[in-house]
Amino acid sequence: MTDRKGIPRREFLKTAVAIGGTAAFSACLGREEIDVPTGPDDLSSYPQRQHAWNEILPRDDHGNVVAPHHRVLLFLNLQENGPPTEPDRTTVETALEGVEHAYERSGDGLLVTMSYSPAYFDRFDSSLPESVDLPDPEALAPFEDPKLDTPDAVVHLASNHAQVVLGAEEALEGNEATLNGVEQPDAALTDVFEAVDRRTGFIGDGLPAENADVDGVPTDKVPDDAPLFMGFKSGFEKNQASEDRVTIQAGPFANGTTQHISNLRLNLDQWYNQDDRWQREAKMFCPYHAENDVIEGTGDNLGDSSKIDECDPADETAREMGVVGHSQKSVSAREDDQPIILRRDFDSTDDGHAGLHFLALQREISDFVKTREAMNGTDIAEQSAVGQRNNNGILQYIRTQHRGNYLVPPRSLRALPPATPRTDSTQEVANASS
Amino acid sequence: MPTHVEGMEMAEMQSSGGYKCALTYTYPHRFWLVTGSRREKVDIKSNDSTHLMPVVWETETGIVPPDINPQVQITQDGESVAQLSPWPMLSQPMGFHFGDNVQLAGDGTYQVEVSIGAPSTRRTGALADNQGQTTFSFEFDFQQSALEEIMYRDIPSDTEGTDGAVDPMGMEMMPSTHVPAEADLPGTVHGSVTSGDAKFVVTTLSDATPFGGREDETYLAVSPRTPYNQYMLPLMSLSGTLSRGNDAIYDDILQSTIDPELGYHYGAVVSGVESGDELAITVDSPPQTARHEGYETAFFEMGEMSVSL
Repeated sequence: MTDRKGIPRREFLKTAVAIGGTAAFSACLGREEIDVPTGPDDLSSYPQRQHAWNEILPRDDHGNVVAPHHRVLLFLNLQENGPPTEPDRTTVETALEGVEHAYERSGDGLLVTMSYSPAYFDRFDSSLPESVDLPDPEALAPFEDPKLDTPDAVVHLASNHAQVVLGAEEALEGNEATLNGVEQPDAALTDVFEAVDRRTGFIGDGLPAENADVDGVPTDKVPDDAPLFMGFKSGFEKNQASEDRVTIQAGPFANGTTQHISNLRLNLDQWYNQDDRWQREAKMFCPYHAENDVIEGTGDNLGDSSKIDECDPADETAREMGVVGHSQKSVSAREDDQPIILRRDFDSTDDGHAGLHFLALQREISDFVKTREAMNGTDIAEQSAVGQRNNNGILQYIRTQHRGNYLVPPRSLRALPPATPRTDSTQEVANASS
Repeated sequence: MPTHVEGMEMAEMQSSGGYKCALTYTYPHRFWLVTGSRREKVDIKSNDSTHLMPVVWETETGIVPPDINPQVQITQDGESVAQLSPWPMLSQPMGFHFGDNVQLAGDGTYQVEVSIGAPSTRRTGALADNQGQTTFSFEFDFQQSALEEIMYRDIPSDTEGTDGAVDPMGMEMMPSTHVPAEADLPGTVHGSVTSGDAKFVVTTLSDATPFGGREDETYLAVSPRTPYNQYMLPLMSLSGTLSRGNDAIYDDILQSTIDPELGYHYGAVVSGVESGDELAITVDSPPQTARHEGYETAFFEMGEMSVSL
């Protein structure tokens, strides 16, 4: 579908999210005719886990969760020094509830999480309880030098509809009196915060190919149906940690989770113009997959896992074949043969360059560090023909630009939580079996 | 022998944090990517402007570390022009280097930033301290006409494709990627063997302390090199079996290591070496470096070798 100005509708919607603002939102409303149900008046039935998205997101034919297509990350700093006040908390909670009343909680509606950095918790005299593992961000590979993000808070907005993430953002910034026909409160996140960064993106079949007109990716090479710039599907059900596995189990922040957000810059000219299909499959999955034609197209035929059990151990492949696959390396970061991080990453064209916002949830930041160390393949590179980046998964094509760590508190503590919330008794997660 | 030889130009040289970096360039080149024992030809594209080679070396030793992948960012007046992660490569005139063809926006001055991270290959001796991350900034004045003046020498057609190699190019102030000549290697040199066109020199050092062993242990080093120009051959998986009679004294990997005296080599600490011991060397993976013309078929079929010590 092409509108009267000749811009394809989907392309316009992506661009609108990247640009943001009232004008982009208005333009979306004019072009994207959708009917998103409003949220309930009473939000008390909403889950304590802000990150409980899987139960309400659709699944594909193989049972994989279909990630919401459009995303905005708002990076926020409190305007005042020192710890926040009770009125500040009320303002934040009221603003968040405003957008939740406007859009139902679903993939076609709005999913929102509020998270806080270690720098935010430094405002308090007391420290976070031991049940929360939230260190300051740091470089996680000997060969990277990322900027370390220290905003106070990050809001993650997700929806299958561009106008929903844009509308929610506008309302949270106090720019909409009504949203989806629902009156908005006289409270905005920007009453207490200042927005210091805004990162946007998309994930889903076809979106990357439509958005390939940026630096870092050859425009005509991304497969038309690929969900991500690199051309392959990811986030297979069996390669994702469960929400239980990433949920903090005890203490005042039980039912919360930790979140790592990195920004990776992609340089895919070599990937598409120099490497061939065999090399892309070997480097993304493992040489076994490339040798045996395991992957068709973007890998939808793989079903609900990347089938890495069929690959030889990474260190063996590295020694004997001189190359090791990205997925193959992740095996060493499993516990009880299960992944320990839950990816909610998405592609981006921020700053006119192809990129990836790698957002991951895990019970402890150390789970992420362990997973990333497996991806570095440092031991493998030391002991084999695999190089620091060369033939070492997909490291050749990626540069880490930013890293940040956050706590996603339980819903009841999502508005400017203290470092040591008072609780009547130590909360335990109902489902503590994971 | 390749069909022709091309020269190269150096835009500028910088020093930072124990390293030097020269930004060098030449014509766009075709080359072959290597993944395992597969090679895949990369043709020159019509919009390729130049073959860019950021050459980084350790100031003290002049060694070019193959494990430190320089990352390149090219801008012009604040606008991004290209970002690349050059491939590790082997060429006859240059030896080991990092390079890739790059598309620029025509003649003009570009700002080129070359950044390096910490090493990932084992360092021994004085090099163990050289761990830093650093960035080099260059002004790169690119002129197509100057590129065309870079030396281009045709190899006589009766020599093309025959055994041999063109002479390494000498450039003032530039490091070479030679390994030490057989006679200049430290320790007791036990001779050499050939496999897949490469020459493997074996030496043993009586005190293994600098290599993580004990004083009464021996360090066994294997130093592979190209046959004519003695260029290092990095990014291989090598293993070794040291046998005395029917007993295996050592049977494990030979780890890639960069040492100030031995250069880039593959080695292991063994309990000791006696006259008459046999060393079998296995190439589990051939050098995973991209290849320029002249090396595209060399160093692939590398059978097991045996040396009497």
